[in-house]
Amino acid sequence: MKKTSAGIGQIWNWKITASCALILLAIGTLAISLGPIHLGFFDILKTLIGAHGLEGQDRTVLLDLRLPRALLAALVGAALATSGAVYQTVFRNPLADPYLLGAASGAGLGATIAITNSGGNIYGWLPIFSFVGATLAVMTSFFISGRFFAEPNTLLLSGIAVGSFATAVQTYLQQRHSNALRPVYNWILGELTVANWSIVSWSSIYILSSILVLVTVSKKLDGLLLSDEESFSLGIDPNRLRMIAVAAATLATATAVSASGLIGFVGIVVPHLVRGVTHRVTNRSLATIALVGASFLVLADLGARTILSPAELPIGVITAFVGAPFFLFVLRTRRVSHQ
Amino acid sequence: MIKVADLTVKMGGRSILNDINLEIPHGHWTCLVGPNGAGKTTFLKVLLGVREYSGSLQDNGVEVYRNHKRNVAFVPQSPEIPTGMTVAEYVALGRSKVDGWGNETAKSRQFIEEVLIQTQLYGMHQRHVAQLSGGEMQRALIARALAQEPQLILLDEPTSALDLHHQISVLNNIEDLKSRGVTVISTMHDITLAAMYAERIVVMHEGKTLLDGIASDVIHSAELRTAFDNRINVYTLDSGRPVIVASKDESKN
Repeated sequence: MKKTSAGIGQIWNWKITASCALILLAIGTLAISLGPIHLGFFDILKTLIGAHGLEGQDRTVLLDLRLPRALLAALVGAALATSGAVYQTVFRNPLADPYLLGAASGAGLGATIAITNSGGNIYGWLPIFSFVGATLAVMTSFFISGRFFAEPNTLLLSGIAVGSFATAVQTYLQQRHSNALRPVYNWILGELTVANWSIVSWSSIYILSSILVLVTVSKKLDGLLLSDEESFSLGIDPNRLRMIAVAAATLATATAVSASGLIGFVGIVVPHLVRGVTHRVTNRSLATIALVGASFLVLADLGARTILSPAELPIGVITAFVGAPFFLFVLRTRRVSHQ
Repeated sequence: MIKVADLTVKMGGRSILNDINLEIPHGHWTCLVGPNGAGKTTFLKVLLGVREYSGSLQDNGVEVYRNHKRNVAFVPQSPEIPTGMTVAEYVALGRSKVDGWGNETAKSRQFIEEVLIQTQLYGMHQRHVAQLSGGEMQRALIARALAQEPQLILLDEPTSALDLHHQISVLNNIEDLKSRGVTVISTMHDITLAAMYAERIVVMHEGKTLLDGIASDVIHSAELRTAFDNRINVYTLDSGRPVIVASKDESKN
């Protein structure tokens, strides 16, 4: 057998990551310029660098509405896509999503408790309650499953049980407080309309630090795709790495959910899209997955606020509209590849 | 030298390995044989350093448990097969111990190419590992181990589920590893093949070692028959090569 001049090539081409960063920048600029009020590119640039740019209402639209909203969409998209990819690696399950261990139902219950007890000031307490709910649900899943990762399937099943329990309590509370139905429903579909600089700043701390941790360990995560004995032989402590990965992914997910509600399918669609286009499953793609996740959600949010303008579509509708057919496509190709 | 002293491994209160004392020399191929449940796979995992034990197991004077400083390749009987991973990516994982995770150099990539050629996987290096046949997958595992440039390789039943042709090709690859100075320790159900390739054989039975020594001596020993409840026959071919076959239980007819 002879070598070809092409050789085996690079396992990951970092030019792809750099290109995705530029695409995010372009999509971000597009998103903050489009809407009922059109803002010019150079005016935006001048305003952002502090030169004489937009004034009055246009300035408010840019700095207080569109910019924080686009940034929050980018943060949430990056968090969900990265967490999804990490969960898929850790559980060696291509269909795992960031809400797998009960984070979504826990956050849903937390949000419902906040909404039914808020007395009007919904958004003050909602992020805190949903964050605590998501974190508690994941911790309970781990507690029930016993030894850490001794049996990943037990952990998945306890995640499902905890999720079902939280959903049952949530439904009971909604039945008792019918006035909470609509706000809870809106929250479940996901929304970025509440974005402001306060939410952007606290969520960016948690999300960016989680992503930084995950990208730092991303090269090692490939070892978790093998059996524990094989990964140990390649120099990894698999349980320690899983603990770091799941903790960081859960923190990112809980923050994303508490900032913007339940936005589905990003965590599945984006990692598979990147892997499918690049024909690589290596976790060296994690930074790229974060950038594509950010671009995807910024674009979805642009659609959510412009398609039925001046009315808004819940962003979860857009991501599910793209995500559900894609999910079925993944299922189908997986079935074909196993035949 | 790997020195095993009073080694016991328990799981759920039951002894899987019981008071093993053994010395395994480096630079040779040692094969663990014995019936199912003898503790061969557990012993391999202990040698790798992932299983807790009482007693002592030292590799060149250092306890092996959770010791990441050793470079030991492990080829499991049933590997986890990552969905969507190409053969090239899979074999490149072996370089992580040498270059650090994800930091393989251009020289390393060249080395991976040579390994792929050597294991006859070069033409299919862009295929997914999930699409490989049993024999090709086994070669991919050996290729990853070759890429790792280990001091010691542990193989759990490397030839089970392979046809004769692939058995020989995989065993030749392992022999090549040994010729590079790598110590080989494997389990093998086929004792004839074990006698053909390994220099030393350790007979295991119910968590204990019954005998260890030079392959040709062990093959003709009473302990080997005892381990298999006297249900094996050893024949010697004209070439002097031993052949071990299961004896038919005539009393059942």
